Order: sequence, then structure tokens, then C-alpha cells
Amino acid sequence: MQILGLRRKQHPVEGAPLRSAARPGSCQARRYRLVATGAVLALVSGGVAACSSGGSAGGSKNVITFANWAAAETNTAPGVAAMIKKYESLHPGITIKSEPISFTDIDQQLVGEVKAGNPPDVAELQGGYTYDLAATGGLQPLSSFATSSWQSSIIPRELGLGKISGQQVAIPWTVAPLALWYNKTVMRKAGLKPTPPATWAQLLTDAKAIHAKEPKVIVLGNDTTSREYGLDVNWPIMRSFGAVAFSGTKATANTPAMQKYLTFIRTIGKDGYTPENQKQGFFRQPAASNQVAFTIDGPYVKGVVQSLNHASNQAFYQTWAAAPLPTATGTHYSIPTDHQLVMFKNSPNKKAAWEFMNWLATSPYAVSHYTIPYEGSIPPLAHPSGTVAGLLNNPVSQVFVKQIVPEVVIPAWGASYSAAYADVMAGIQNAMISSTPIPSVASTMQTAVTGDVSG
Amino acid sequence: MQAALPKATGRVRRRRQRTRWFDWMTAPALIVLAVVVGYPIVDAVLVSFTNYSLYTPLHHYVGGVNYSHLSNDPVFWKSLQNTVIFTGVSVAVGLLLGLGLALALERLRGPWRFLRAILLTPWAVPVIVTAFLFEFMFTNPGGIINSLLETAGLIHSPLPWLTSPTWALTAVIIANVWMQAPFFLLIFTAALGGVPDEVIEAARIDRARTWSMIALIKLPYLRNAALVGALLMIIQNFNNFPLIWAMTTGGPAYGTSTLVIYVYQLAFTSFKLGYASAVGVVWLVLLMIITSLFIRTLRSRPA
Repeated sequence: MQILGLRRKQHPVEGAPLRSAARPGSCQARRYRLVATGAVLALVSGGVAACSSGGSAGGSKNVITFANWAAAETNTAPGVAAMIKKYESLHPGITIKSEPISFTDIDQQLVGEVKAGNPPDVAELQGGYTYDLAATGGLQPLSSFATSSWQSSIIPRELGLGKISGQQVAIPWTVAPLALWYNKTVMRKAGLKPTPPATWAQLLTDAKAIHAKEPKVIVLGNDTTSREYGLDVNWPIMRSFGAVAFSGTKATANTPAMQKYLTFIRTIGKDGYTPENQKQGFFRQPAASNQVAFTIDGPYVKGVVQSLNHASNQAFYQTWAAAPLPTATGTHYSIPTDHQLVMFKNSPNKKAAWEFMNWLATSPYAVSHYTIPYEGSIPPLAHPSGTVAGLLNNPVSQVFVKQIVPEVVIPAWGASYSAAYADVMAGIQNAMISSTPIPSVASTMQTAVTGDVSG
Repeated sequence: MQAALPKATGRVRRRRQRTRWFDWMTAPALIVLAVVVGYPIVDAVLVSFTNYSLYTPLHHYVGGVNYSHLSNDPVFWKSLQNTVIFTGVSVAVGLLLGLGLALALERLRGPWRFLRAILLTPWAVPVIVTAFLFEFMFTNPGGIINSLLETAGLIHSPLPWLTSPTWALTAVIIANVWMQAPFFLLIFTAALGGVPDEVIEAARIDRARTWSMIALIKLPYLRNAALVGALLMIIQNFNNFPLIWAMTTGGPAYGTSTLVIYVYQLAFTSFKLGYASAVGVVWLVLLMIITSLFIRTLRSRPA
């Protein structure tokens, strides 16, 4: 009966449970309590040790943690996984630990992680998110890694997007400014020439013809959701009317230019050209079945549409083409929806992290096997050559590289932008759905934005 | 009697010893509650008196500025108004629907009782699934709801379910009622099972008609169940975040923004933790009032 050394504690009556022998307060009971307490402490300390060892594994010198939404999205997840596998095979001492976080959540999650002191080594960011993270002071300046020769290999305007307050804190990974996509098939069916409208007034004329001929077709895909991204999409339209919602800590939402923009927005809403409060992604499914005439989107829409309707490149180019966003004042604008890569100050593996970032953004392998085929975007290379140049030799990429990238302006990203976007978008939505006079909508927006940006 | 006293006292002392030891067993739970509930509440109250933003590492005490800003914030009042409408209408309609279903299905026998199980399934569907399901159904163009209404000749042009503030709130409430009516069906079905047979028999002998039976006999027995169910649902709806966020993100133009949505937006998209905490504190106070009402009602409930 000597099992686990318990024979000495065996009850005199054979077979009786041990517990019954421990009378409350007896010496044996105290011993049991002591043993139980010891066991609990051992378990707890074991657990703590396990947790802490797990934590340190993430921070060991050969592991790079990479927070990104590419691994969280069905279209791009296999591509990112393949890139990581390839990189690990090329760098046997390095392990890349991908942390998939959805695009909608990554900003707030990383801000929280910076505040908690446990950010990843590298992260994928976009637009305003980079400014949000830079404002926390958690991003590593990259000037010591990005040598002048490296910088000269990158499109200067794209490199500039990662420079905040004079510091290079992000590098471009995929270049994706917004353009006006137009469906030549839908335009032809409506009796229009398949050429892109150069002005918003021209677009409204085309819209009227298309809506009359094909009332179920969405004339203009424009994201008007109450998200920072919603404002990103509308920012270049506002700018093309000469309007800016705020500048620094000053609200400029109640101007004649803004009222013109809001009147345009009201027209596309009230005349049924754009469904209100819809995300950009909403328009991609109908776009794949020729149910959208114009849509404001990045170069990646090509890949999404083709993944939905399985059209060949040739069939896609016959139906869709990209052009600069129309204007009301003569100057065309676009904003970047580029994906950028950043490194965090807390990273213990800065050199390895930089090498990984650089490889993802600029290596011919990553560009030709991920950036172009999976992201459907333009690589940030100033002088693409060989296979990469060949892959970019198509009508869509050429329009983006030659016409749209030079039109890119940076929205007023930062703390004011995050504070004010909801009120600006509420004003835009009000203009679209209510019958409140436009000057009154602009005035309400001005009051709300003043409260947001004045600190 | 006197001889029995020392024996009884010894028993009481032993019981007290055991009870005291048992009381200590609650300590771990109390510690956990203090850490995960007490500390965040105290911290939120403290933060609500600061200008804390996640952007800046430095923040300082600003007194009652956040609270005075609250009183002039139209979005806060709009959110409070939406919270009351969303909660009130959802609970009232859900309760009536659940009651009607429970009474209608009361007499189901044999395999027909399966119908009750089917009607309970919406309660088991995850909120996020319900939200996306209804978003697809209400979406315009392409939603099935408008299509059905047009086919039935009830409308001539599609309704802007998710794109007009009024219709969006209606759409969100419909989804919510669909989800929580089964809860009321469940508690009313259980309460109906508790109506004594002799009372029903006596009413039948007195030739009570169906409506008299429901209004004068059954409903009084369901009063307590209705009260408890309604209070639980009020608390739950007050905190309902995923349904609204997934369907409308609080829009359009704050048309479906409730207090919980507004707190989320302030804290996690605008990163204004100080102001978000002030809204959160007001929200907490309102919830505490409702909760204390719930506890008082439970205590005063007759056995």
C-alpha cells in the first residue's frame, strides 16, 4: 500500500479515506493544510514562472513580433505567411511572430500596448494610425537605419509620408493612393463615352445619365461612415472644393468652399447616387458584377474585384480604369492609403527588425510575390527594374505611378484629426440625409469641430 | 432547560467557528472583485477629473471641467436619449411579444413542443451574428426587408433603414427585440407552469372565458416574472454595445449612438480618456440606480 510515500499517513482502519482521519485542529489536519497550501503556492508560482518565461520568449533576441492586419484578412493572410516563411528560411537565426489584428482595431490596440509598455517590434500601420502612434512617443526614429543611399531608392513623396515632426518614423511598404475608378461597360450602356469625368460637375452630369438608364446601379462608391477612414476618403474631395475642416487647432468647417462640398455631398445622397453610411468595402462586391459606375478606392480594388469575379487582367482592364479624382477648382488631390512599417522604441532587436522591414518593403522577392500580387499595390521603389518593372507595366499601375502619386496630400492626421473626425463625418452624414439647410449644417459642424480641436 | 444550554452554546460556538472560517473563503473572490471591478471604477472616477489623453504621457487635474463640458455636449444628450428609447422600446416590445408567445404556446403538447425550442434559438445566436444578419437584411440596396415590403405592396420605394437616423434606430431595435423576445418567452413559460392547477380548475368551473382567464388569473401570477425579466433586460440593453456597433457604428449622424457607444468612441477612437471617464461615471451612476431598483424589487418580492 506504499503509494506516493503516503503509507505513514494511512488510517489505522484499512480502506478508510485519509481525509476522515484529519480531525479539525489536530496535528495531522494542520499538516494537511500545510501540504495543501504548499501545493497551491507551488502551482501559483509555477504558473507565474510559466507566464514570465512565455513573455520573455517573445522578447528574446531572435524573435521579431510583427503586428499587422494583413495576416487577419482572408485575401492577404496566405501572402504574409509565405513572406514570413521565406524570410525565416533566408535568415535561419530569426523567427517572425506574426500578430494578426484587424485593421479597425490595430490603432487602439497598439496605442494601448505602447502605454502598457509591451508593443511589438514591428507593426503595419496606415495613414492616421502612424500619426496616432507617433504622438504617443512610442515609435523608433529610423534615421540611423535608413541611410541616404537607401532613402534615394525610395519614391521621395512616399518616404516623406513617414516623416513626422522631422523624424523618419515609418517607411512605405505598399503605395496606394485613392483614385476614381470608372466602369467603362456601365458608361457605355448609359450612352456615355467611357472617359473619366475631370470635374465633379461633369461626374454629376454622367451620374444623372447613368441613374436614368440603370437606376439599380450605384453611381458613386464613396465611404461616408463615421470612421477616421471615412474622413480620409472625403478629405481629397473637400480639398478639391477648396475646403478644409480644420487646420491645426482652428476649425474652418463653415466656409463657402465647405458649403459647396456639402451641397455636392447632399446631391449625391439625395439623388440616390451614393448609399449613405457605407464602408468602402461595401462597394467592391457590386463593382465586381458591374453594379457600380464610379468608385473612390485604392489600386488594391483590382485584386479584390478579380478575386470576386475571376476576371482575367485583360477583361479587367477592358471594364475598369483608374483616373485622378475629379476637382471643382482645377487642382486634383488624392490621399495615401499606403501601408507603412514602423518599429517601436521598446524593441530589443532593432537591427533585426529593420532588416525585416527593409526586406518586406524593398526586396524584389517580397515586392513581386506579395506587394503587387496580394496587395495589388505599387511598391515604394523609385527605380523599379527587372521583374518588378515588368509587373508594373500595365495601364492601372502606370496611371497610379505617373498621375495619382504626385497628387497625394497628407490629411491633417494627428490628435486633432482623431478628436474631430466623428463630428466632421456627422456633418457630412447630416448633409446627405437631412433637409437642414447647408449653411446650418456647416455652422453646426464648425461649433462641434471647434470643441474638438481647440484642446 | 438549563442543562441543555451549555450543550447548545457549544454547538453555536462550533457553528460560529465554522462560519468564520467559511467567511474567510470569500476573501479571494473579494480580492479579485476589488482588483477587476473596484480598482477600475475608482480609477475611472479619478481620471474623469483629469485631461488624460492617450496621446500625451502628461495629464493633470482639471476639476469638474469634463462634467461641465458634458452638460453642454449635444452628442452626450443625444446618446442618453437614444439609450432610453433603445432600452425602453426593446424591453416593452420584447416583453409583450414574449408574453404573447408564451400564452399562445402554453397548451402545446407532444411533438409540437419542439416549436417552443425553435422559437428560443434567437436567444442562443451570438449577438455579432445577429447584428450582421440584420445589417444584410436591412441594407439598401439589396436588403431582403425592403424587397419583401415592396413585393407585398406595403412600400413603393425602399426605406432608408440604416441610412436615416430614425429608421436606423428602428432597425437596431427590431434586431434587438428579435434577439431578446425568446428570453421573455422562456421566463413566462416557466412562470405559467407555476400557476396552480386548482386555481385554473376553479376558474374553469366558474366558466371563465379565455381573456378573463388570462387577464384575471394568469397575468397576476406572471407579474413577478415580468418585473424581474424586464429589470434584467433593462440593465443588459443599457450596456448593449456589439449589436449597435456592428450594425451602424452609432450612425448615421449619431442617430443610433448610445452612451456605451459614445464612451467607446471617446476612449478608443479619439483617445480622450478623461472625458470618456466622465461620461462613463454618469453612465455608471445611472446603471447603479437601476441595479439598486432591481435588488430592492427582488428583496420586496413576496415568496
